[in-house]
Amino acid sequence: MLLPHAQTLAHARSYVAALADHALTIEASSAYERVLLELDRVHGDDCPALNTDDLTDDRDILLAVASSDIGDLENYGVDPLSVELILAMLVDAQGLDIG
Amino acid sequence: MYGENGAQMRTELAALLRQHRVMHRLAADSPTERAEVGQEILRYRRTLLTWCAQAIRVAQPLTFPNIPQKPADPFRATSDHGAAMSELVRALELARDQATTTAASSTALATPSLNDVVEHWRLAARAAALAEHDTAPDLAVHLTASQARTIAGDVAAISQALVVLDRRYRNTPGWESLAGCDRLGWAALATALDVSLGQPDFSVDQTGWRPRTKPIRGPAKPGVLGVLQAEHNLLVRLKSIPNAMNLRLIVDSQRLLTSQLVPYAERVDLDLAEQWRARAATYSRIQRELRNVGGRLGNGAGATAEASNAVSRMKALPAGAVIEPRMLGGFQTLFRRIDERISDVLEAGVERGAFVQRVTVPRLVSGEGRLVQPVRERFVPVTRPADLEVIRTARKHLRPRAEPAVASPGASRVDLHAALIHRPPKKGAQSDVPGL
Repeated sequence: MLLPHAQTLAHARSYVAALADHALTIEASSAYERVLLELDRVHGDDCPALNTDDLTDDRDILLAVASSDIGDLENYGVDPLSVELILAMLVDAQGLDIG
Repeated sequence: MYGENGAQMRTELAALLRQHRVMHRLAADSPTERAEVGQEILRYRRTLLTWCAQAIRVAQPLTFPNIPQKPADPFRATSDHGAAMSELVRALELARDQATTTAASSTALATPSLNDVVEHWRLAARAAALAEHDTAPDLAVHLTASQARTIAGDVAAISQALVVLDRRYRNTPGWESLAGCDRLGWAALATALDVSLGQPDFSVDQTGWRPRTKPIRGPAKPGVLGVLQAEHNLLVRLKSIPNAMNLRLIVDSQRLLTSQLVPYAERVDLDLAEQWRARAATYSRIQRELRNVGGRLGNGAGATAEASNAVSRMKALPAGAVIEPRMLGGFQTLFRRIDERISDVLEAGVERGAFVQRVTVPRLVSGEGRLVQPVRERFVPVTRPADLEVIRTARKHLRPRAEPAVASPGASRVDLHAALIHRPPKKGAQSDVPGL
């Protein structure tokens, strides 16, 4: 894994983790956690650490940044179908969060 | 378990001690048949004696005399070391070695008898044979002095019962009396008195051999039972250490399951609901802290599948369902064990280096003359388990506190002691209860 890939992945993981922490219900938090786990699984659990410092509390911004970062992973050789599936999981999780 | 086998021995012996006119119970009128039944009983008694001799040998090194210590030379072995106990060991071994009848075979121990007296003897002997597992020397290394004293007291009571029964069966044709019967009786009495001077610890009942816990196979049980089944299977499957990702899935399942159970518990037991709310919060915290833990060692696929079963079955439960207190208790027991096991898994994983900590990329290696610069370090082994936040949380919040075991002597001990001095009601004695 090269540096730009690691940076994008770390960014994506941090934002999804923040979404899980700010979710209103445990079910939604668990759904975001599944997204995070799927990201890790796709990378064979070879992922950089989270960096949750100075992240916004606004869930819309968090979601937008997370989606965009996950979409960017396609540029680093991650299977596009996996990326689409992760994005779909993220949308489902958001659906649970909104209620 | 020693408690079960010991209780069975005592119950059967107490029942035998309450039978006073045994001769007509052995066989109707035929001396030959009585002799045959007598031989059968002797074989069962030999099995009981074998256990008594083995158990007292195991307990002996841990039972110390209650006499005040003299300012003795520490290099000289104390010769009066538990005098009563040594005498009981000697008397039991003499009785066992001088018995000419062989011990009952496993076929005899497993075959029920139609004769009531023989059946009591058989059950007592079978319990004794099973108890050999519980007081085997390899399990006995964990015994404490107070637990050993309890075993010595039990052996003394059982020996006393054997002595009383020996006298009662003396007229049976072909009966073989216990060798050194009187001496055995007095030694048992002295041991019982010696044991009563100290404080016996009845938690010994919980020790010994236990059957292996197995997963509940077969199709999913309906309703809450299915959730309990999956949760039980999860605990069994957690025997092998899961890898970091599967552990995160399992932790997530526990958090979901507990939070979904809270509304059901609230209707029945508010305290339990409060405890489960705290459990869900602990698992949320652990889940958060595990995001920075990785590791590919281990498997845990089976456990993860069961965890997922538990959550999906819980989701399918109708909202109006009532979970009765017994089932809530079952969940609580399983939760305690799972919490303990997950704490162990975390500690063991970090200890063995199976779980490593993700760290922020410290630097890039430059100047190696390579075209592509790979990221240097992304995982570091944890040097001390306590450095990891998740381990601190598990130690502080997750690991259940040890519940003080309430160890009581149990009814069977009291019953046997009462049966030892049982007297038959006098002929023609009026019962206090009016007859119908």
